[in-house]
Amino acid sequence: MEVELLERRDNELRFIIRRVSTAFVNSLRRAAIAEVPTMAIEDVVILTNSTVLFDEIIAHRLGLIPLTTPKEGYVMPKDCVCRGSGCSKCQVRLYLDVKAEYPMVIYAESLLSDDPNVRPVYGKIPIVELEEGQSLVLEAYAQLGLGKEHAKWQPVSACAYKYYPRIDVRSDLCDGCGKCVEACAKSVLKLNDKVKVADILKCTLCGDCVETCPKGAIEVNKVDDSFIFYLETTGTMTPEDVIIKAADVLIDKAKRFVRALEEAA
Amino acid sequence: MVIIPVRCFTCGKPIGHLYEEFKRRIDMGEDPKEVLDDLNVRRYCCRRMLISHIDLIDELLKFKRIST
Repeated sequence: MEVELLERRDNELRFIIRRVSTAFVNSLRRAAIAEVPTMAIEDVVILTNSTVLFDEIIAHRLGLIPLTTPKEGYVMPKDCVCRGSGCSKCQVRLYLDVKAEYPMVIYAESLLSDDPNVRPVYGKIPIVELEEGQSLVLEAYAQLGLGKEHAKWQPVSACAYKYYPRIDVRSDLCDGCGKCVEACAKSVLKLNDKVKVADILKCTLCGDCVETCPKGAIEVNKVDDSFIFYLETTGTMTPEDVIIKAADVLIDKAKRFVRALEEAA
Repeated sequence: MVIIPVRCFTCGKPIGHLYEEFKRRIDMGEDPKEVLDDLNVRRYCCRRMLISHIDLIDELLKFKRIST
Protein backbone atom coordinates (compact mmCIF):
# COMPACT_ATOMS: atom_id res chain seq x y z
CA MET A 1 0.00 0.00 0.00
CA GLU A 2 1.16 3.48 -0.89
CA VAL A 3 -0.36 6.89 -0.20
CA GLU A 4 0.41 10.11 -2.04
CA LEU A 5 -0.98 13.41 -0.82
CA LEU A 6 -2.44 15.58 -3.58
CA GLU A 7 -4.22 18.46 -1.93
CA ARG A 8 -4.80 19.75 1.56
CA ARG A 9 -6.73 22.91 2.34
CA ASP A 10 -9.09 23.98 5.14
CA ASN A 11 -11.35 20.98 5.62
CA GLU A 12 -10.42 19.13 2.49
CA LEU A 13 -8.03 16.33 1.75
CA ARG A 14 -7.30 14.56 -1.54
CA PHE A 15 -4.87 11.69 -1.86
CA ILE A 16 -3.94 8.76 -4.09
CA ILE A 17 -3.99 5.34 -2.53
CA ARG A 18 -2.24 2.57 -4.46
CA ARG A 19 -2.12 -1.22 -4.32
CA VAL A 20 -5.35 -1.77 -2.37
CA SER A 21 -8.65 -3.42 -3.26
CA THR A 22 -11.93 -1.62 -3.99
CA ALA A 23 -13.39 -3.36 -0.94
CA PHE A 24 -10.74 -1.76 1.27
CA VAL A 25 -11.16 1.84 0.10
CA ASN A 26 -14.92 1.44 0.19
CA SER A 27 -14.91 0.19 3.77
CA LEU A 28 -12.67 3.14 4.65
CA ARG A 29 -15.16 5.50 3.01
CA ARG A 30 -18.12 3.93 4.75
CA ALA A 31 -16.39 3.98 8.13
CA ALA A 32 -15.53 7.67 7.67
CA ILE A 33 -19.14 8.54 6.86
CA ALA A 34 -21.03 6.39 9.34
CA GLU A 35 -18.80 5.20 12.17
CA VAL A 36 -16.51 7.99 13.30
CA PRO A 37 -17.94 9.53 16.49
CA THR A 38 -18.42 13.30 16.56
CA MET A 39 -20.08 15.79 18.88
CA ALA A 40 -23.55 17.19 18.17
CA ILE A 41 -26.40 18.59 20.21
CA GLU A 42 -28.87 15.82 21.00
CA ASP A 43 -31.15 17.15 23.76
CA VAL A 44 -32.52 20.67 24.11
CA VAL A 45 -34.43 22.04 27.07
CA ILE A 46 -36.27 25.20 26.04
CA LEU A 47 -36.92 27.47 29.02
CA THR A 48 -38.27 30.51 27.17
CA ASN A 49 -39.01 30.89 23.51
CA SER A 50 -40.96 33.94 22.38
CA THR A 51 -39.35 33.97 18.94
CA VAL A 52 -41.21 33.37 15.67
CA LEU A 53 -39.70 29.90 15.25
CA PHE A 54 -41.20 26.84 16.96
CA ASP A 55 -39.21 25.07 19.68
CA GLU A 56 -38.78 22.05 17.39
CA ILE A 57 -37.31 24.11 14.55
CA ILE A 58 -34.81 25.75 16.89
CA ALA A 59 -33.85 22.37 18.41
CA HIS A 60 -33.38 20.94 14.92
CA ARG A 61 -31.18 23.86 13.85
CA LEU A 62 -29.09 23.49 17.02
CA GLY A 63 -28.58 19.80 16.28
CA LEU A 64 -27.21 20.57 12.82
CA ILE A 65 -24.62 23.09 14.04
CA PRO A 66 -21.22 21.39 13.79
CA LEU A 67 -19.35 21.30 17.11
CA THR A 68 -15.63 20.75 17.55
CA THR A 69 -14.88 17.20 18.63
CA PRO A 70 -11.94 16.81 21.04
CA LYS A 71 -9.62 13.90 20.22
CA GLU A 72 -9.86 12.50 23.74
CA GLY A 73 -11.95 12.93 26.84
CA TYR A 74 -15.43 11.81 25.89
CA VAL A 75 -17.12 8.44 25.51
CA MET A 76 -20.27 7.40 23.71
CA PRO A 77 -23.28 7.58 26.10
CA LYS A 78 -23.97 3.86 25.70
CA ASP A 79 -20.41 2.98 26.80
CA CYS A 80 -20.40 5.46 29.69
CA VAL A 81 -20.30 4.52 33.38
CA CYS A 82 -23.54 6.47 33.81
CA ARG A 83 -25.12 4.12 31.24
CA GLY A 84 -26.37 6.95 29.10
CA SER A 85 -28.22 8.93 31.73
CA GLY A 86 -25.83 11.83 31.13
CA CYS A 87 -22.68 12.84 33.01
CA SER A 88 -19.59 14.96 32.38
CA LYS A 89 -17.83 12.05 30.66
CA CYS A 90 -20.41 11.65 27.90
CA GLN A 91 -22.18 14.98 27.76
CA VAL A 92 -21.48 18.69 27.38
CA ARG A 93 -23.92 21.38 28.38
CA LEU A 94 -24.35 24.46 26.20
CA TYR A 95 -26.33 27.44 27.35
CA LEU A 96 -28.08 30.21 25.49
CA ASP A 97 -29.77 33.21 27.12
CA VAL A 98 -30.73 36.16 24.94
CA LYS A 99 -33.31 38.87 25.44
CA ALA A 100 -33.51 41.29 22.54
CA GLU A 101 -33.47 44.97 23.42
CA TYR A 102 -33.42 45.78 19.71
CA PRO A 103 -34.00 43.66 16.57
CA MET A 104 -31.12 41.18 16.34
CA VAL A 105 -29.90 37.83 15.07
CA ILE A 106 -28.76 35.09 17.45
CA TYR A 107 -25.71 33.30 16.09
CA ALA A 108 -24.16 29.98 17.04
CA GLU A 109 -21.37 31.89 18.84
CA SER A 110 -23.91 32.88 21.54
CA LEU A 111 -24.02 29.25 22.65
CA LEU A 112 -21.88 29.14 25.77
CA SER A 113 -20.27 25.77 26.36
CA ASP A 114 -19.20 24.25 29.68
CA ASP A 115 -16.20 22.79 27.83
CA PRO A 116 -14.25 25.24 25.64
CA ASN A 117 -13.09 22.25 23.54
CA VAL A 118 -16.68 21.60 22.46
CA ARG A 119 -18.03 24.71 20.77
CA PRO A 120 -19.65 25.65 17.45
CA VAL A 121 -17.17 25.43 14.57
CA TYR A 122 -18.76 28.32 12.70
CA GLY A 123 -19.76 31.14 15.04
CA LYS A 124 -21.76 32.97 12.39
CA ILE A 125 -24.45 30.36 11.74
CA PRO A 126 -27.76 32.15 12.42
CA ILE A 127 -30.04 30.32 14.86
CA VAL A 128 -33.00 32.71 14.87
CA GLU A 129 -33.83 36.38 14.38
CA LEU A 130 -35.48 38.35 17.18
CA GLU A 131 -37.73 41.37 17.33
CA GLU A 132 -37.39 43.82 20.22
CA GLY A 133 -38.62 42.25 23.47
CA GLN A 134 -38.47 38.63 22.27
CA SER A 135 -36.25 36.20 24.12
CA LEU A 136 -34.74 32.77 23.85
CA VAL A 137 -33.41 30.85 26.82
CA LEU A 138 -32.35 27.24 26.46
CA GLU A 139 -30.00 24.52 27.60
CA ALA A 140 -28.60 22.12 25.05
CA TYR A 141 -26.78 18.84 25.67
CA ALA A 142 -24.20 17.64 23.16
CA GLN A 143 -22.95 14.08 23.04
CA LEU A 144 -20.90 11.79 20.83
CA GLY A 145 -22.80 9.93 18.15
CA LEU A 146 -22.38 8.10 14.86
CA GLY A 147 -23.35 9.13 11.33
CA LYS A 148 -25.32 5.92 10.91
CA GLU A 149 -27.73 7.07 13.59
CA HIS A 150 -28.20 10.66 12.41
CA ALA A 151 -26.49 12.69 9.66
CA LYS A 152 -25.72 15.48 12.17
CA TRP A 153 -22.99 13.20 13.58
CA GLN A 154 -21.37 12.62 10.20
CA PRO A 155 -17.86 14.11 10.29
CA VAL A 156 -17.78 14.47 6.48
CA SER A 157 -19.97 16.34 4.03
CA ALA A 158 -18.23 14.75 1.08
CA CYS A 159 -16.29 11.50 1.09
CA ALA A 160 -15.71 9.69 -2.16
CA TYR A 161 -13.13 7.91 -4.27
CA LYS A 162 -12.68 7.17 -7.95
CA TYR A 163 -10.49 4.77 -9.87
CA TYR A 164 -7.13 6.10 -10.97
CA PRO A 165 -7.49 6.68 -14.72
CA ARG A 166 -5.10 5.49 -17.38
CA ILE A 167 -5.20 6.95 -20.91
CA ASP A 168 -3.27 5.36 -23.77
CA VAL A 169 -2.91 7.18 -27.08
CA ARG A 170 -1.53 5.07 -29.92
CA SER A 171 0.87 7.43 -31.66
CA ASP A 172 0.91 5.26 -34.81
CA LEU A 173 -2.87 5.78 -35.25
CA CYS A 174 -3.34 9.36 -33.91
CA ASP A 175 -3.30 11.96 -36.70
CA GLY A 176 -3.61 14.92 -34.38
CA CYS A 177 -7.11 15.98 -35.50
CA GLY A 178 -7.90 17.29 -32.00
CA LYS A 179 -11.51 16.06 -31.86
CA CYS A 180 -10.89 14.27 -28.59
CA VAL A 181 -9.41 17.40 -27.00
CA GLU A 182 -12.63 19.27 -27.80
CA ALA A 183 -14.83 16.37 -26.64
CA CYS A 184 -13.23 16.18 -23.20
CA ALA A 185 -15.37 18.07 -20.65
CA LYS A 186 -12.56 18.12 -18.09
CA SER A 187 -9.71 19.30 -20.35
CA VAL A 188 -7.66 16.21 -19.65
CA LEU A 189 -6.10 16.09 -23.12
CA LYS A 190 -3.97 18.56 -25.04
CA LEU A 191 -2.76 18.73 -28.59
CA ASN A 192 0.97 18.83 -29.12
CA ASP A 193 1.37 17.57 -32.68
CA LYS A 194 -0.11 14.29 -31.40
CA VAL A 195 -2.63 14.06 -28.53
CA LYS A 196 -1.03 14.08 -25.08
CA VAL A 197 -2.41 13.75 -21.56
CA ALA A 198 -2.37 17.13 -19.78
CA ASP A 199 -3.99 16.32 -16.44
CA ILE A 200 -4.74 12.67 -15.79
CA LEU A 201 -6.23 13.29 -12.32
CA LYS A 202 -9.18 15.21 -13.76
CA CYS A 203 -10.30 12.28 -15.95
CA THR A 204 -13.66 10.84 -14.90
CA LEU A 205 -13.43 7.81 -17.21
CA CYS A 206 -16.44 9.04 -19.20
CA GLY A 207 -15.05 7.70 -22.47
CA ASP A 208 -16.18 10.61 -24.66
CA CYS A 209 -12.71 10.87 -26.21
CA VAL A 210 -12.73 7.16 -27.12
CA GLU A 211 -16.10 7.54 -28.86
CA THR A 212 -15.08 10.71 -30.70
CA CYS A 213 -11.77 9.49 -32.07
CA PRO A 214 -12.27 8.56 -35.75
CA LYS A 215 -9.11 6.44 -35.77
CA GLY A 216 -9.76 4.50 -32.57
CA ALA A 217 -6.40 5.65 -31.25
CA ILE A 218 -7.42 6.37 -27.64
CA GLU A 219 -8.03 3.89 -24.93
CA VAL A 220 -9.25 4.87 -21.44
CA ASN A 221 -9.00 2.38 -18.61
CA LYS A 222 -9.12 2.34 -14.85
CA VAL A 223 -6.16 1.20 -12.83
CA ASP A 224 -7.76 -1.57 -10.79
CA ASP A 225 -5.79 -1.15 -7.59
CA SER A 226 -5.33 2.64 -7.39
CA PHE A 227 -7.82 5.23 -6.22
CA ILE A 228 -8.16 8.97 -5.83
CA PHE A 229 -9.77 9.58 -2.45
CA TYR A 230 -11.40 12.87 -1.55
CA LEU A 231 -12.95 13.97 1.71
CA GLU A 232 -14.31 17.21 3.07
CA THR A 233 -15.21 17.50 6.73
CA THR A 234 -17.90 19.63 8.34
CA GLY A 235 -15.15 21.25 10.43
CA THR A 236 -15.80 19.11 13.50
CA MET A 237 -12.30 17.59 13.14
CA THR A 238 -9.50 17.62 10.60
CA PRO A 239 -9.78 15.34 7.55
CA GLU A 240 -6.61 13.51 8.67
CA ASP A 241 -8.21 12.72 12.02
CA VAL A 242 -11.36 11.47 10.30
CA ILE A 243 -9.39 9.04 8.11
CA ILE A 244 -7.25 7.86 11.04
CA LYS A 245 -10.34 7.33 13.22
CA ALA A 246 -12.05 5.49 10.34
CA ALA A 247 -9.04 3.18 10.03
CA ASP A 248 -9.16 2.64 13.81
CA VAL A 249 -12.81 1.62 13.51
CA LEU A 250 -11.86 -0.97 10.87
CA ILE A 251 -9.00 -2.30 12.99
CA ASP A 252 -11.38 -2.58 15.93
CA LYS A 253 -13.90 -4.53 13.86
CA ALA A 254 -11.22 -6.93 12.63
CA LYS A 255 -10.07 -7.50 16.22
CA ARG A 256 -13.61 -8.19 17.40
CA PHE A 257 -14.06 -10.63 14.53
CA VAL A 258 -10.88 -12.52 15.47
CA ARG A 259 -11.98 -12.67 19.09
CA ALA A 260 -15.42 -14.01 18.12
CA LEU A 261 -13.75 -16.57 15.87
CA GLU A 262 -11.48 -17.74 18.68
CA GLU A 263 -14.43 -18.08 21.02
CA ALA A 264 -16.36 -20.08 18.45
CA ALA A 265 -13.44 -22.42 17.73
CA MET B 1 -37.49 29.18 3.70
CA VAL B 2 -38.05 31.29 6.75
CA ILE B 3 -34.36 31.38 7.65
CA ILE B 4 -31.23 30.12 5.91
CA PRO B 5 -30.80 26.35 6.56
CA VAL B 6 -27.77 25.44 8.68
CA ARG B 7 -26.57 22.85 6.18
CA CYS B 8 -26.91 21.85 2.56
CA PHE B 9 -29.91 19.52 2.25
CA THR B 10 -28.08 17.12 -0.03
CA CYS B 11 -24.51 16.78 1.20
CA GLY B 12 -24.62 18.26 4.70
CA LYS B 13 -21.96 20.93 4.20
CA PRO B 14 -22.51 23.80 6.67
CA ILE B 15 -23.62 26.86 4.67
CA GLY B 16 -25.69 28.91 7.15
CA HIS B 17 -22.76 31.14 8.11
CA LEU B 18 -22.09 32.06 4.47
CA TYR B 19 -25.49 33.53 3.62
CA GLU B 20 -25.04 37.00 5.10
CA GLU B 21 -21.78 37.58 3.26
CA PHE B 22 -23.21 36.11 0.05
CA LYS B 23 -26.29 38.38 0.26
CA ARG B 24 -24.27 41.48 1.08
CA ARG B 25 -21.87 40.92 -1.77
CA ILE B 26 -24.45 40.24 -4.49
CA ASP B 27 -26.46 43.25 -3.27
CA MET B 28 -23.34 45.29 -3.91
CA GLY B 29 -23.43 44.07 -7.51
CA GLU B 30 -20.94 41.20 -7.49
CA ASP B 31 -21.55 38.20 -9.74
CA PRO B 32 -23.13 35.37 -7.67
CA LYS B 33 -20.90 32.85 -9.47
CA GLU B 34 -17.74 34.62 -8.37
CA VAL B 35 -18.97 35.04 -4.79
CA LEU B 36 -19.82 31.34 -4.51
CA ASP B 37 -16.44 30.35 -5.93
CA ASP B 38 -14.77 32.73 -3.52
CA LEU B 39 -16.69 31.27 -0.56
CA ASN B 40 -15.48 27.83 -1.65
CA VAL B 41 -19.01 26.55 -2.28
CA ARG B 42 -18.19 24.25 -5.18
CA ARG B 43 -20.92 21.61 -5.51
CA TYR B 44 -24.19 22.58 -7.17
CA CYS B 45 -26.21 21.16 -4.28
CA CYS B 46 -24.65 23.70 -1.88
CA ARG B 47 -24.73 26.51 -4.44
CA ARG B 48 -28.49 26.24 -4.91
CA MET B 49 -28.96 26.50 -1.12
CA LEU B 50 -27.60 30.05 -1.22
CA ILE B 51 -28.83 31.08 -4.68
CA SER B 52 -32.44 29.98 -4.19
CA HIS B 53 -32.88 31.13 -0.60
CA ILE B 54 -35.30 33.93 0.25
CA ASP B 55 -35.27 35.06 3.87
CA LEU B 56 -38.85 35.35 5.12
CA ILE B 57 -38.23 35.69 8.85
CA ASP B 58 -38.33 39.49 8.60
CA GLU B 59 -41.91 39.23 7.32
CA LEU B 60 -42.87 37.03 10.27
CA LEU B 61 -41.25 39.39 12.76
CA LYS B 62 -43.89 42.02 11.90
CA PHE B 63 -46.54 39.93 13.65
CA LYS B 64 -46.82 39.85 17.44
CA ARG B 65 -47.17 36.44 19.09
CA ILE B 66 -50.54 35.93 20.84
CA SER B 67 -48.91 34.28 23.83
CA THR B 68 -45.41 33.24 24.71
